[in-house]
Amino acid sequence: MTEILIKNGFVFDPINGINGEKMDIAINNGKIVESVNSQKAKKIDASGLIVMPGGVDVHTHVAGHEVNTGRMIRPEDHVKDAVRKTVLTRSGVGYSVPSTFVTGYRYSKMGYTTVMNPSMAPLGAKHTHEELNDIPLLDKATFPLIGDWWFVLEYLQKGDLEGCARHVAWMMETTKGYAIKIVNPGGLESWGFGRNVHSIDDVVPNFDITPREIVCGLAKVNKMLNLPHTIHLHTNNLGIPGNYVTTLETMKALESIATEGKPVAHITHVQFSSFGGESWGNLKSAAEEISKYINNHGHITLDMGQIIFSDTTTMTADGPFEFTLYQLSGHKWVNSDVETETSGGIIPMHYKRTSAVNATQWSIGLELALLVKDPWKIFMTTDHPNAGPFFDYPKIIAWLTSKKARMATLKRCHKKAQKKSLLTSISRELSLYELAIVTRAGQAKALGLKGKGHLGAGADADVAIYNINPEKIDIAKKYKTARKAFSSAAYTIKDGQIVVKDGEIVRNVDGRTMWLDVQTREQLKVDEEMKRKFKQYWTVEYENYPVFDHYVKVPEAITVKASV
Amino acid sequence: MSVINAVTCPICGCLCDDIEITVVENEVVKVKNGCAVCEAKYLGYKSEHRISHPLIRKNDKLVPVSMDEAVHKAAEILANANYPILYGWSSTNCEAQRIGVELAEEVGGVLDNTAVVCHGPSLMGTQEAGIPTSTLGQIRHRADLIIYWGCDPWSAHPRHLERYTSFTEGRFEDSEWKSYINKVKAAAGRKKLLSAQRVSPKKQEISVAESVVFNKPPETLQKEGRKLVVIDVRKSMTAEMADYFIQVEPNKDYELMQAMRAMVKDQDLDVDQVAGVPMEYLKEVVDTLINCKFGVVFFGMGLTQSAGKFRNIEVAISLVRDLNLRTKFVIMPMRGHFNVSGANIVFAWQSGYAFGIDFSLGYPRYNPGETTSMDVLLRGESDAALVIASDPAATFPKRAIQNLVKHPLIVIDPHMNPTAMLGDVVFPSAFVGIEVEGTAYRMDNVPLPLKKVVDPPKGVISDEELLKKILEEVRIIKAQETKNKTEGA
Amino acid sequence: MILLTPLKKFQFPIHAECINPDVFQGKSKAEIATLIAWEGNRKKKLGDLFKIEETSAETPNITINGDISEVRRVGQSMKNGEIAINGNAGMHLGEKMAGGKITVNGNASGWTGSSMKKGLIEIHGDAGDYLASPYRGSTDGMRGGTIIVDGNVGSDSGCYLRGGAIMVKGNAGQFLGFHMSKGVIYVEKDAGRRLGASMIGGKIVVLGFVDDLMPTFTIDGVKAKAKVDDTLKAVGPFYVFLGDLAEHGNGKLFVSMAKNPQLKNYEAFI
Repeated sequence: MTEILIKNGFVFDPINGINGEKMDIAINNGKIVESVNSQKAKKIDASGLIVMPGGVDVHTHVAGHEVNTGRMIRPEDHVKDAVRKTVLTRSGVGYSVPSTFVTGYRYSKMGYTTVMNPSMAPLGAKHTHEELNDIPLLDKATFPLIGDWWFVLEYLQKGDLEGCARHVAWMMETTKGYAIKIVNPGGLESWGFGRNVHSIDDVVPNFDITPREIVCGLAKVNKMLNLPHTIHLHTNNLGIPGNYVTTLETMKALESIATEGKPVAHITHVQFSSFGGESWGNLKSAAEEISKYINNHGHITLDMGQIIFSDTTTMTADGPFEFTLYQLSGHKWVNSDVETETSGGIIPMHYKRTSAVNATQWSIGLELALLVKDPWKIFMTTDHPNAGPFFDYPKIIAWLTSKKARMATLKRCHKKAQKKSLLTSISRELSLYELAIVTRAGQAKALGLKGKGHLGAGADADVAIYNINPEKIDIAKKYKTARKAFSSAAYTIKDGQIVVKDGEIVRNVDGRTMWLDVQTREQLKVDEEMKRKFKQYWTVEYENYPVFDHYVKVPEAITVKASV
Repeated sequence: MSVINAVTCPICGCLCDDIEITVVENEVVKVKNGCAVCEAKYLGYKSEHRISHPLIRKNDKLVPVSMDEAVHKAAEILANANYPILYGWSSTNCEAQRIGVELAEEVGGVLDNTAVVCHGPSLMGTQEAGIPTSTLGQIRHRADLIIYWGCDPWSAHPRHLERYTSFTEGRFEDSEWKSYINKVKAAAGRKKLLSAQRVSPKKQEISVAESVVFNKPPETLQKEGRKLVVIDVRKSMTAEMADYFIQVEPNKDYELMQAMRAMVKDQDLDVDQVAGVPMEYLKEVVDTLINCKFGVVFFGMGLTQSAGKFRNIEVAISLVRDLNLRTKFVIMPMRGHFNVSGANIVFAWQSGYAFGIDFSLGYPRYNPGETTSMDVLLRGESDAALVIASDPAATFPKRAIQNLVKHPLIVIDPHMNPTAMLGDVVFPSAFVGIEVEGTAYRMDNVPLPLKKVVDPPKGVISDEELLKKILEEVRIIKAQETKNKTEGA
Repeated sequence: MILLTPLKKFQFPIHAECINPDVFQGKSKAEIATLIAWEGNRKKKLGDLFKIEETSAETPNITINGDISEVRRVGQSMKNGEIAINGNAGMHLGEKMAGGKITVNGNASGWTGSSMKKGLIEIHGDAGDYLASPYRGSTDGMRGGTIIVDGNVGSDSGCYLRGGAIMVKGNAGQFLGFHMSKGVIYVEKDAGRRLGASMIGGKIVVLGFVDDLMPTFTIDGVKAKAKVDDTLKAVGPFYVFLGDLAEHGNGKLFVSMAKNPQLKNYEAFI
């Protein structure tokens, strides 16, 4: 049972340069291997099917206090999508804020095997991990929010990068996190008193530091710590018309930190940060400006944050932005500021084709993905559930690979948005190879996940097999077939076990939670200082703060040797 | 002897985690830092009311039985029930609550927690209006206007003010402890003076707020530093300490808050008083709210259980939302049981809903009034119940209890409390936070670890273990039934 | 026409969305008997719970004889046909109704006509709480159609009303018309507290006593008559209030002058 041979599939493995070759993939003991004993191995006949590494989602809100509060306040969303218990699967709810079990099942049914929960308030880290434990069938990791953490602000303001780095390493281990997450740097601390920052050079009240200094400081810290992913950044002025200027400034500020042309920052859900125009009345796309910059620089990766026209729930650590959405919509609004650390907000949002603004936003996401030439630089996400629920990913796949699909949707959009949209003049359609990059290989590479996103020997045996025959079907024309195929995998294999067959769960497995064990040279001093400061800064004891080992059901500690 | 630090107290929603416990030969002998209630629990958990053995009612008497027999009987009751209730959950750990969801789902019953008699309306209010809130530390660091509305922390959450609000030192705000001490000294001084003048204290009951015109804002409301405002129907212990006590007419909080909302939006009202507060004073109150740097409203049963219920919370949240257009304001419910938040949180992430969850159709459904345990009991719809970590016989209306005992009742509790005395199958439970470790969530939803400081009595297992046993047995019984059915077919 | 009679007194909640003229349409008696309904946590067939008879009338109608206060979601989302209940009805009766008619010769329970779109519901007894009001967290109120109640209605009725009419011949409980934006509610007897709280539009007409009018309503004037719909003009005189000011609302409350002497001091503001 531990040996599997996937025979005759059309394999797309961009990290290893394989582009639709008909070949076999061999699995043994949960890993991809060169070959297996073809007599004993279980055989999967993948002829006429495409074989890809399991999907990797670089940014999806699936666990923790923010997500759960979203669940608690949206019974009217849940009631649209009740999920019945079966012999193998637990019951729950779906739609925009699914319950944890359903999250795992639905991702797995689409062929996904790894997800990154991008926002974790450190004070609530135990909660995040408890929920991650209850997401079956997926490997996961989570990013602590430290862009407005008082220690970071204080150390960077002093200019003490090493001190900051040691504290960030402490935070990463203490919360069992995977990457440095920064949201509206400086804005969240300002929001503690109801204010915000409006440019990267605004001074954060009470802390005498600017967003520019926070972002550059943490990018440097990230390098000093040798973390596998870059800083993961949600820019200032997100969601404000004309904000592309701030996004460009942020990217420019990071140029000097880049070395060897390697990325030093990942800007997430960049659609929300690519607005031109001056007001909601004349909102337009700045995809051209942003993509032009990206095409000429190699130090930034992006993910889309693509809008889906549906009723969804926004939730981010960007408290002031969520408040802006409340002022615009009047919908029920949650705000949750976290002492010493960060902020957060939730508000339901309905994206409509008939709204000129929403339709323009929809166009922006796709324009960015198609105008950025190198698919290794921009990945497919909806910032679930902010721009749309993750189970609508197949719709985006259709829009990316088929001009026909996107024009069909554009035609039903508000006339103003149709006129402004660049999609009319863009004819590029992503190939299956490029699709494999933007939905798995690229994300795994940007995250520094060595065993994910590819099918070379030694990789984790996470495989997705889809019912598309590239020799018979042109997905640019038959986009509805493509959508159906990507909604419901023919097979999903997790760690060498078949978990999904024909879109149905056939086996339950626990995934792993990956976290960074960052080893710095000077650890002890940080602990002593922390203990002293704890009583002043937090309302919990130092001893009770960390995520103890027993909070992570199936841990995978990744050792990182820092240069500090 | 061992001294254990950073112990998290398992009583109320404050979840103070700085308790120091001294243990000698598996007994707690000393409690440091805790309030009176905390001490009482840690020093008194070994009472004579402890249940020591699983019990089953035979010939109308509860007799000790083996764990296996009791587990089987309980599992049989639940597996065969058409509409069982699984209620309580607020005084046990998240690890047990998780099994509770699985069990309720397996037996197709109604899963509910004590929020249904407490802050259920608060959860319902947030479903209508959202909630601008924060963690408790934000209050400590930033709040200069602290309002307790319909709650009395001095009695119910004793360390709330000293750990999180008026009497704490924050990064941007100082403690008001000194100012309070001075006030108390001044009041004592006045009392002494009066007694020296031979004025009978009975005739002149001087207290801080009564020396002014009824509901008139005091001058101290304009001072620098933290201000404490209490709004209640009677002068509670907390009100005695407040800078300003507003005595609102009973059941009129809704009107008061809606009026304040209109005034925050610069509307003029046609009335001259609202809920006992004259308009001119109300204007000053609203000005104080708008002009603070960071305000917070804490609320309790005064709002959730008075006329209007969840709409009281909805309007309180709406008021705080409206205030955010002028300044920074947050609102927070004063959760009671130490892990009532945890139950709502665990239920929500696993099923989508926080309480009153009906699994009878094979998937979770939620509708307070329809699927909440109290209402199911009042209509006599259930035919079995499991009660854990709570005491509904002491808190539910009479008719609900009458319907509860008409049908088989399984009780899991450390003590022979009123509900246990009515049980048909009774299990002893170990105290979470004293004899069993685990996780609990504070009133502001911060997760904290609970410690085990002593061993439980012999033969007493944790709720998590017990529920797992019952769940396993239920599955065996159901599998056997299915087998019998298919064989018989 | 199908005649249903409960086979016993139901203790457990019965979920019977299948009792719906659209669902019964074109089905034989035998087929109807096999439709799925739930009794507590047991899946049953409709024939296990009801005696099912067929009369010669060719109409897509359903008559239920007996107490079905535990039977929920009868007539949910129905578009055509008629249901007559000779007894008390259970929760969610006619929820999201889009046409047709439901008559209850008895009392109705909570959430009757919830988020109704079109059609007619007549309740000859009392209606429970949340009449026509949407589900928790939703603002999807009744959009059209008419609900007539001969008796009293409970609390939180007509919440988020956005169209249609609710006519109550008895008393109304608290929070009638909460956050309504359009449509009309008419009460012949007394209205409970928090009448029209947070309303932003629409109209409520009360011929009886209004308990404790919200302080966030302002007097607009006095009117001799109040138009309820094309067939009914209520005879006043009425105080006309505008509100809810907390929502910058433009809703109107027509309150009987004769029955509300406690509101006399508002006349100074006219």
